[in-house]
Amino acid sequence: MVLRGLSFFYVGLLIILPILAISAEALKGGFPNLWTNITAPAALASLKLTFLTAFMMVILNVITGTATAWVLVRYEFPFKNLMNALIDLPFAIPTVVTGIMLVALYGPNSPVGGFMEKKGIDIIFARPGIIMALLYVSFPFVVRAVQPVLQEMDKDMEEAAKTLGARPFTIFRRIVLPTLLPAVLTGAALSFSRAIGEFGSIAIVSGNIPFKTQVASVYVYGELESYNPQGALGLSVVLLLCSLLILIFLNRLQVWSRKHAAA
Amino acid sequence: MIGVTLFACQGGKTSGTTNDVTLTLGAYTVPKEAYEKEIIPAFQKYWLDKTGRSVRFEESYIASGAQSRAIVAGFEADIAALSLKKDVERLRDEGLITHDWTDIRTRGFVTRSVVVIAFRPGNPKSIRDWTDLTREDVEVLYPSPKTSGGAMWDVNAVYGAGLKLSEAETGARDELQARELLKAVQKNVRVMDKSGRASVTTFENGVGDALLTYENEAMLRRLQGRNMDYIVPDATILIENPIAVIDANVEKHGNREVAEAFVEFALRPESQRAFARYGFRSVDDAVAVEFADKYPRPKHLFDIGYLGGWDEVHTTIFGPEGVWTQVVKELADE
Repeated sequence: MVLRGLSFFYVGLLIILPILAISAEALKGGFPNLWTNITAPAALASLKLTFLTAFMMVILNVITGTATAWVLVRYEFPFKNLMNALIDLPFAIPTVVTGIMLVALYGPNSPVGGFMEKKGIDIIFARPGIIMALLYVSFPFVVRAVQPVLQEMDKDMEEAAKTLGARPFTIFRRIVLPTLLPAVLTGAALSFSRAIGEFGSIAIVSGNIPFKTQVASVYVYGELESYNPQGALGLSVVLLLCSLLILIFLNRLQVWSRKHAAA
Repeated sequence: MIGVTLFACQGGKTSGTTNDVTLTLGAYTVPKEAYEKEIIPAFQKYWLDKTGRSVRFEESYIASGAQSRAIVAGFEADIAALSLKKDVERLRDEGLITHDWTDIRTRGFVTRSVVVIAFRPGNPKSIRDWTDLTREDVEVLYPSPKTSGGAMWDVNAVYGAGLKLSEAETGARDELQARELLKAVQKNVRVMDKSGRASVTTFENGVGDALLTYENEAMLRRLQGRNMDYIVPDATILIENPIAVIDANVEKHGNREVAEAFVEFALRPESQRAFARYGFRSVDDAVAVEFADKYPRPKHLFDIGYLGGWDEVHTTIFGPEGVWTQVVKELADE
C-alpha cells in the first residue's frame, strides 16, 4: 500500500509535475498567442520532420535490432561476448560526440560522404544523416528488449513445426514473431520516444535549416534563445502530447499482440 | 583539529578582505585571448602600482546572449563585456544597470569589428564580393540568427550591403534588391550552427566554401595558420561591442571603484592597441589611425543605425514577418 503510494508520488514528481509546469508556463501569454506560436510554419515543419525521421528510424531499428538480437542469441561466433557488450556503447557516448563522429565518418569531407555527394546523395546535413544519428542513439533499445524474450523462448514449438514440414520463414512468421512482437513493440516505443527528444547529435549532424533539416528540439532551442519561451514551451507541450498518444497506441498494440501470442 | 581548521578558515577570510579585491567579468567568447593575455594582466599591474592592492579576476566567456541571460538569472558579474548592445540593454531593463552606461566618449563601446567573408587559402572559388556568394557552386556558412548574435550581424551585413549597393547605383535604397540578395545567399547555406565559434569550427573542418564571420575571428585564424583566408567586402556593417559596469553587483561587492577603473582602463590607448593586436578595430580614433593599414576602412561601411537600430531590426528583419524569416519560408516553398 505504502509502496504503491510512494511509486505514484515518484512518478508524479519526476514526470507529471514538470509537464504541468511547462504547460502552465506556456499558457502564461494567453491562448491566442500560444496558438500563433504553435502553428507558425517553421514550428509545424519541424514537428513534421521530427515525426517522419523518428518513424523511419523506428522501422529500421525494429528490423536491424531484432536481427541483431537473433544473431546474438541463436548463434555462436568468436568475440560474441565483446559484441554483446558493445551493443550498449551508444548509451555511454555523449550525444554531441555521436554527432561529431558521424560528421567525421560520413560528412562531405570523408571518403564515404564525398563519394556519395558526387553521386548526388547527401548524408550529413540532410535527412539520411538525421535518421542515422537517431538510429545510433536508439540502437540498444530494440536489441535489449528482444534479447531476453528470445533467450527464454521455448524451442519446442519451433521444432514441432519443423517436424510437421513448415519452412523456416513460416516458422518465423507464425511462431517466433508473435512471441517476440510485444518485446519488439516495447523497443519500438522506447526508440521512438528517444528519437523525438534527441538534440545533441542532431544539432551537429542535421544542418538545422528551417523547413528543411530543422527538427522540433532544435526549433524549441532556437525559440528559447530568441526570447520566445512561450513559443518554445508551447511546441514542447504539443510534442509531449503527440508522443503520449503514440505511446498509448503502441501500448494498446502490445496488449493486443500479447493476447494473440503463440500460447 | 576542528579548532585549527576554524582558525585557518577565519585567517583566510580576513586577509582576503583587506588586501585583495575580486572583480568578476562576464564576457562573450571572442575577446577571451585579448582579456586573458593582455588587458587583465596589464590592469592588475596598473592597479597594484597605483593603490598597492592586488585584483583577483574571475572571468566567464560564453555566447553573448547566454551571458546576458546568466547575469539576469543571478551570475554576479561586476562588468559585462558583450557582443550586442541589446544584451547589455537587457541588464538595464532588469534593473541591474542603473547608470547611463553610454555616457562615455565611446558611447559605451570598447571594441569594433566588421563582418568579413572568409574562404579557403588561395581563394579557389574566386570570391570577391557578396554577389559571388549567390553563385550556384558556392556553399555559404553562418550560424542561426535564432541562437547567435554573430549571425544577426552577418544577416544585417548582407541585407544592408544590398541596400547600400543599390543606393550607390541608383541613389535610392532598393529593398527588393537587398531582399533578393539575402535570399540568394541564404539559399546556399547548408548548415546553420548554434554560435559563431561553432560555425568557424565547421568551416575549419572542411564544410562550405565561404564563411561569414567577425573580422577578428578570421584574422586570428589566419594568423594561426588555420584553413582560412578572408576579404573585407566594400559594403559591410560596423560591429560595435559594449562594456558596462553592473551597478547592482558592484554595490553588493563593494568594488565599484575598481570596476569603473577597469572599464576606463580598457578604453585607454594601450589597451586599445592590445585589442588591435588580437584582431579588433579600435574605438579610439588615434589608435585606429595607427592601425589603419591593418584595418582598412570599407568604402561603403554602415552601422546598425543605417538599418534603423536594433529594435527596428529585430522586428523588420528577424521578427515573425521579418525579411529573413520570410526569405527562409519562401526558400522552403520553392
